[in-house]
Amino acid sequence: MVGAEMINYLAKKLKVIKAVALVTYKEWSAYRTHSMVSIFVGPVYFIVQYFIWSAVYSGKASLNGMELSQMLTYFGVTTLIGYLTMDFADWNLQMLVRTGKFLTFALRPIHHRFFALSQKIGHRILGLFFEFLPCLFIFVFIFKINLRPASYGWAIISVALAFLMNLYLNYTIGMTAFWLVQASGVRRVYLLLQGIFSGGLIPLVFFPPLIQKLMLFLPFQYVSYVPAMVFIGRYTLAGVSMPIPHIVGLQAIAVALTALFSEYVYRLSMKRFTGVGA
Amino acid sequence: MHNNVTGGKMLKKYIRIYRECIKISISTALTYRLNFLLDNFIMLVSNTIFPLVTLLIYGSGAEFPNWSLYEVLLVQAAFTMSTGIADILFNGVLWATMRHIIEGSLEIVLIKPVDCLFLLTASTVDFSGAGLFLGGAVLFAVALSHVGPVSILMALQFLILFISGVFVMMGISFIMVATSFKWVGNSRLPEIFDSIKYFGRYPQNIFHKSISGFTSFIIPVAMIGYFPAAALLGEADSIAFIAILPCFLFAMAGVLLFKYMIRLYEGVGG
Repeated sequence: MVGAEMINYLAKKLKVIKAVALVTYKEWSAYRTHSMVSIFVGPVYFIVQYFIWSAVYSGKASLNGMELSQMLTYFGVTTLIGYLTMDFADWNLQMLVRTGKFLTFALRPIHHRFFALSQKIGHRILGLFFEFLPCLFIFVFIFKINLRPASYGWAIISVALAFLMNLYLNYTIGMTAFWLVQASGVRRVYLLLQGIFSGGLIPLVFFPPLIQKLMLFLPFQYVSYVPAMVFIGRYTLAGVSMPIPHIVGLQAIAVALTALFSEYVYRLSMKRFTGVGA
Repeated sequence: MHNNVTGGKMLKKYIRIYRECIKISISTALTYRLNFLLDNFIMLVSNTIFPLVTLLIYGSGAEFPNWSLYEVLLVQAAFTMSTGIADILFNGVLWATMRHIIEGSLEIVLIKPVDCLFLLTASTVDFSGAGLFLGGAVLFAVALSHVGPVSILMALQFLILFISGVFVMMGISFIMVATSFKWVGNSRLPEIFDSIKYFGRYPQNIFHKSISGFTSFIIPVAMIGYFPAAALLGEADSIAFIAILPCFLFAMAGVLLFKYMIRLYEGVGG
């Protein structure tokens, strides 16, 4: 009986995800050329990285334990993962709070974060077709980058967890709008920190040891660095090396804790939120 | 004679309009001074990201062949200062024009008895880019203090090349604005040009010759950071000076493209 209720509950949730994701996909399909900008931008940035690191590695077999081929794979992978996990739930939520439109969501029989997750799934399916796949082909067939993951299973799980982590973090930042209303400054500071500490700019092993130790306790590495290293097949940070299943397990725990924290802040937010009309 | 007088009057009028627009921009910044200070502070802090990769590369014992850390930082500081100037003077034009196109309100600008591009540029002067310029200037001073002595001739060469680089930034900005008449509401337009500008942030000798030829003469982004810094390092060769001409042609191309593309604008009264 409990099993049947659970199946019904999950089926209902899946139905909501499918409906919202499909509408979001169709809505953003109208602007698919915006997504297709990545087909130019991604490879151009990669070409710059190729020349930077080819010059830096001249005469050196490895730097901080990474060979040139691994470094290029790292940048290719982080670019592609970025297309799958990209998120702007923070911007969206802040806009809804500031304009008062959040009220219409607060009245719906669906948690807004779940709605945001469903929207993100639709939006990123579009990203899969118009950003990820074209760039994957360019990286593999034109730049000849090895983009075969060490383990398909762990890589997919890790990217899925990074997808959720990015949503929970951004959503939590977006909720600061319930206190600040105009929270664009907080958002910019957060994006700056995420840009530095997620590993999108440079592998985190290049940072000084003290900062690497600090990063072990921050959530940013789970957005980009961890999935990229899982893809490559070995994880090291601050001198700590972990087998892939362990770091993916740790990533799952970090995602669960961030989700709980996000829910806690959401409940506090709902106590603060007041809306009229909209 | 008559034409000269008319031209002189016109110039005076345009200078007066530009001065008024700057006054308005300063007044706006002073009205929302906390937001202005915060914007500038964030710009200043964001600026630390830019040389971070270079610092981490050199910190790990690696380097760009034949380039010391401070020489590379000098290239990046010149690039940052140029970006700061472009943010103040030209980069607001894209967002203002894009908004006008989406809302169909460009007529309000078009009916005024001044050049449309001039008015859009003047009315979008924004001093929140000052933080970026200052951050670049600090980095520039630090880097310069660690490289060899700079002669007056080298400083003069730097100035000429740096100004040429600002013209490239202007050209890029106007080409983006022109593109927005056709590619309506695409907020990712700057990403396309940012990716090309990225080549200008690093010493050009690390790139393949075909790429450095492209970044010197076709879309001369090498003039934004690399060539001016090379002048201060006493390494500006004939290519650097030949590349000045494409910079001005590129800026001119931006203006002409805007004039051509504005014909695509369709509005019904704003």
